Amino acid sequence: MTNKGLRVKAKELKTDIALVKGLELSVGKIIDDTWEEPMGPTPMPHIATLRDWDMKLLNKYKPFYMPDCDLCCLCTYGKCDLTAGKRGACGLNIADQSSRIVLIACSIGAATHTGHARHVVDHLIEEYGRNYPLDVGGFNVDVEAPVTRLVTGIKPETLGDLDEVLTYCETQVTHLLSAAHTGQESNNLDFESKAFHAGRVDQVGMEVADIAQISVFNFPKADPEAPLIEMGLGTIDNAKPVICCIGHNVVPSVGIIDYMKANKLDSKLEVVGLCCTAIDNSRYFDRAKIVGPISWELRVIRSGLVDVLVLDEQCVRTDCALEAERINAPVIAASEKNCIGYKNRTNDPVDEIVNDLVSRKVPGVLILDPEKVGEVAVRVAQKVAPMRKKLSILPSEEEIIKLAKTCRHCNLCQRSCPQDLEIPAAITAAAEGNLKPLTDLYEECIGCGRCEEACPVKLQIHSFILKAGQKYMLEETNFCRAGRGAVQDIEIRSAGGPIVLGEIPGILAAVGCANYPHGGKDVYDICREFAQRRFIVMTSGCSAMSAGSYRNEEGQTLYEEFPGSFEAGGVLNVGSCVSNPHIAGAAIKVASIFAKRNLRGNYEEIADYIHNRIGAVGLAWGAYSQKAASIASGFWSLGVPVLVGPHGSKYRRMLMGRSDKPENWEVYDARTGDTVNVGPAPEHLFQTVETPQEAMVAIAKLCIRPNDTWKGRSIKLSHYIDLHKRHYGRMPKDIHQFVRTMADVPVTMKDEIKDILEAKGWKETVIPDPTMLPRMIRSKKE
Amino acid sequence: MSMFEDIPVDVGVIYEGERIRRNNMQIELGGPKQPAKFELVRAKKMDEIEDEKVTIIGPDLKDLPEGGNVPFGILIEVAGKAIEEDLEGVVERRIHEYCNFVEGIMHLNQRYDIWIRVSKKAFQKGLNSFTHVGKVLARLYKSELPFIEKIQITFITDPAKVKELHDQAMDVYEARDAKARGMKDDEVDTFYGCTLCQSFAPTHMCVITPQRYSNCGSISWFDGRASAQVDPKGPVFAIEKGEMLDAEKGEFSGINETIKQKTLGAVDRVWMYTGFGYPHTSCGCFEAMAFYIPEVEGYGIVDRGFKGVTVNGLPFSTLADSGAGGRQVDGFHGISIEYMRSPKFLEADGGWDRIVWMPQSVKDRVAEFMPETAKTNVATENDAKTVDELKVFLKEKNHPVLQRWTEEAEEVPEAEAEEAAEGTMFPVSTATVSAGGFKIIFKNAKIHAEKVIIKREKPKR
Repeated sequence: MTNKGLRVKAKELKTDIALVKGLELSVGKIIDDTWEEPMGPTPMPHIATLRDWDMKLLNKYKPFYMPDCDLCCLCTYGKCDLTAGKRGACGLNIADQSSRIVLIACSIGAATHTGHARHVVDHLIEEYGRNYPLDVGGFNVDVEAPVTRLVTGIKPETLGDLDEVLTYCETQVTHLLSAAHTGQESNNLDFESKAFHAGRVDQVGMEVADIAQISVFNFPKADPEAPLIEMGLGTIDNAKPVICCIGHNVVPSVGIIDYMKANKLDSKLEVVGLCCTAIDNSRYFDRAKIVGPISWELRVIRSGLVDVLVLDEQCVRTDCALEAERINAPVIAASEKNCIGYKNRTNDPVDEIVNDLVSRKVPGVLILDPEKVGEVAVRVAQKVAPMRKKLSILPSEEEIIKLAKTCRHCNLCQRSCPQDLEIPAAITAAAEGNLKPLTDLYEECIGCGRCEEACPVKLQIHSFILKAGQKYMLEETNFCRAGRGAVQDIEIRSAGGPIVLGEIPGILAAVGCANYPHGGKDVYDICREFAQRRFIVMTSGCSAMSAGSYRNEEGQTLYEEFPGSFEAGGVLNVGSCVSNPHIAGAAIKVASIFAKRNLRGNYEEIADYIHNRIGAVGLAWGAYSQKAASIASGFWSLGVPVLVGPHGSKYRRMLMGRSDKPENWEVYDARTGDTVNVGPAPEHLFQTVETPQEAMVAIAKLCIRPNDTWKGRSIKLSHYIDLHKRHYGRMPKDIHQFVRTMADVPVTMKDEIKDILEAKGWKETVIPDPTMLPRMIRSKKE
Repeated sequence: MSMFEDIPVDVGVIYEGERIRRNNMQIELGGPKQPAKFELVRAKKMDEIEDEKVTIIGPDLKDLPEGGNVPFGILIEVAGKAIEEDLEGVVERRIHEYCNFVEGIMHLNQRYDIWIRVSKKAFQKGLNSFTHVGKVLARLYKSELPFIEKIQITFITDPAKVKELHDQAMDVYEARDAKARGMKDDEVDTFYGCTLCQSFAPTHMCVITPQRYSNCGSISWFDGRASAQVDPKGPVFAIEKGEMLDAEKGEFSGINETIKQKTLGAVDRVWMYTGFGYPHTSCGCFEAMAFYIPEVEGYGIVDRGFKGVTVNGLPFSTLADSGAGGRQVDGFHGISIEYMRSPKFLEADGGWDRIVWMPQSVKDRVAEFMPETAKTNVATENDAKTVDELKVFLKEKNHPVLQRWTEEAEEVPEAEAEEAAEGTMFPVSTATVSAGGFKIIFKNAKIHAEKVIIKREKPKR
């Protein structure tokens, strides 16, 4: 789009018509504005540009604070007690402080993804040049970067164009973070609005990272049939040297895989991964294997399967290197953000580094050149594997029984366990020779290791659980579909009819981390339930892995049972964390494809469209990180509701609608300008739920939108009522709020619901062309 | 009080996607192994029907062999003041939907092609008689389609009887199809409008006539008629045709008035049978796009399923975007595949004589309805991948569009000459200017532009 400047100097120039001496011609910026779509009102919004829109949402869905901590400890006046309405030394109250923490979390998240994108884009520009063309889906994708177009007004065509987009993101993150300094913003809704802005910037940063890596590394390009990738500890071939990559940034792994391929070693070693690096590795190389989500980090290391550990950025346990030392596995730190105190060996000869690692002279090295990481990792793995012999530090069963007898029964392990798992009982049983209760914990444990830290007699409780569950652990052989990237424009067109006709009741996006309340099976169960109900199910990141980690009665994983396309009953893995904008992008593209709404710098209008029309719900069942907070925030500001599991309550606030206040649910009918009450649809914007059953009922309900056709509404209500009856044992009490005309009532429930409507004094209303923006009211042309 | 309290299994739309695998099935009815199977709806007189009577000819569910496969037929007879033979097809297609609402029944296909499975689990729960299925169907029909005042349902598993009724049913389907295809826009007073898509495309309205299906391909004139009867306030409504303003282009005063009202004036005029002037608007979910190729003065057609680029170098996604969103755009026209089977298909533009290119898969689907000449004249991706190749192909086949080329052909050299002139503009202009007899002298000139914005000029029409 934009090229830097131009400067021409001519000392003397003689032509037939002109004599020119000492000419200096300079142009500050050359802008190729051949994109015909007109610029919308808010290109590159600043931190307060979209404040009005944010406030519309925040007044409809008021923040409900659940402070995790009643103190503020950020400045030296503190600690300040903010309980019972008290204000701190700077004047801030608990609502302001809670929202400020939300802003800080979202800014960290946005900075992380933007930093990640910056690293990827700079690296790729250096390797492939600014003019390298972007291609995310060939002929079937016309709108290549829906989020970027929407937020910045830029239509990126080359790697160089992404540079400018990132500059915008970096500026915004700086402003956002600065607003969190002590003694500035004093209103909680303004902090919240800025948190929304962090979400918008975050979505752009993620999109940039993913479209860059898709284009250059030739990841699956909007491919519904992206390959099935082997997943689970049981798929790792023990006979081969194993390189394990943990983190989120695929660049060092590409170095490893390229080196293996160039030296014809790609079938001689195993490259396995955890967290998003695993997902992106498998998009680059379909023989790369996925071990599992973040909660498998201690599992794979302590099992001894890893010969070389390569750590990049984000979501890497900070004790991975220490754990690797225990199994004699050398570590390569490959990210500036995660140097682990190791000596920087980037400029040292490869032979020297390899020798130092193989001889255990050093436990690990920092290498900031991905190609060098590749060569070192492969050569070290080959040499170390025969020496290590897959040394595991898991105790034997006899050792567990013996050690368990030293337990003091203090219960600190259970008290420290985020899942409140009944560890003491399992240890007591183990001391008596019964390991079954420990085995049972394997499935529910999320691998944080806090029990071990709490134990006064230093029992390696997590290792006990792993050993007791080892049989299951090594039987983990499943499939995850490689991240497909974007949704094709054509798929959206094809799904349009079924969505209008109600055949597709909604879109569920299961995204984010693995801090699950009871292991990953909940994610699988929820995804399968909704795929069977012919919703479109989208997955990404650790949730994409968990969704594929279980099998149906016929032995198929979710990705084998359901098609990978954007259609009724499809289950689509879009990819890693940075692939999440493809989910938002699909919603954005609906507006452009069906209503021909302009996207360019037109955030408010499109968010209004999505909020009122597209029945999509995000589910971050195990969200733990600041990145998950900013990802969710990007969806909130588009008006897409997000559900989190019980640990999500630690994000300190929900965004709750009040179904008891009819005035909160009024929209304009763009056709007439009339105000129409559309009921609580969707009811909440951010909500914590405690059980998968509760989540299922909430998901079905949150897919309801004001524009639903009667057919669509009747099918949505069928699912809501059915799930509600199944899990709560009765008809929902608010059904009358979602019936506009009798045609909305599910065909098989007419009699039953008619009685309810009568009892509630229900009145028929109209289906509007809904909008929250007065400027969208269409005046009748004569 | 639930409508289905006395049915041993649950009934609801949530069971629509239910799949029953061979291992889990109690019995398979019809399906690919059975040569004769059918489902049929007939309109009857009020006194010919005993309301909600369910008859079973042949063994009932509980007497059929576990895991077996049997011939099968469903005959539904309906009566009511507003019932007419024309509505039989619409009523019949709901059998599929309603059977699938029943927990433990999977129903696939329609007419002579039906394939039904009943699950073991549902059978064990007590779904062991067709009477239950009959009750469900009768209640759903009467609740959903209030114009059905009386209904009786017969299930047939007796092989001889299935065969006998199957043969009769085949005649009925044939006659029904012939009538539907023979129906002309000129012969009816009422068309139907559909604004379902306005939930996503607020300015789009489909006009459905006997000879033009909805863009999405899922609503025929008969469907429109039934929907409008069931829910007069609903998104599918009758349009009085009004005065015929232009027979050739297909302009009717009734359509103009209705679309003006329904789109709030965004569209106030529609020509039904052409892609130019005031073409029927395109929503977002049309099945195919007819796109004009000016170089050959004919239309290409591309459907959603086509993966590559069309003959003009653009893929479906780009072409679709050129016409979508409830707009009228000259030469970009969203259509259903079924409309291609209609004699009114782009009639004002020349119909099939104007079609020059389409994907092979589309050609295969509509071949039966293409004129003989078009079958050889219309190129596919196998014949032409570029406009130049298409020109050669069309010339070879002496395609009717060639007649339109003759006048243009003379203009071609002129256009080329103009292009050549553009390429050599610099020397020419230098010469011209110097002839004016002046000189420009710059000394120590510094020219700085903060920004230079390059914009594309709109091509002249």
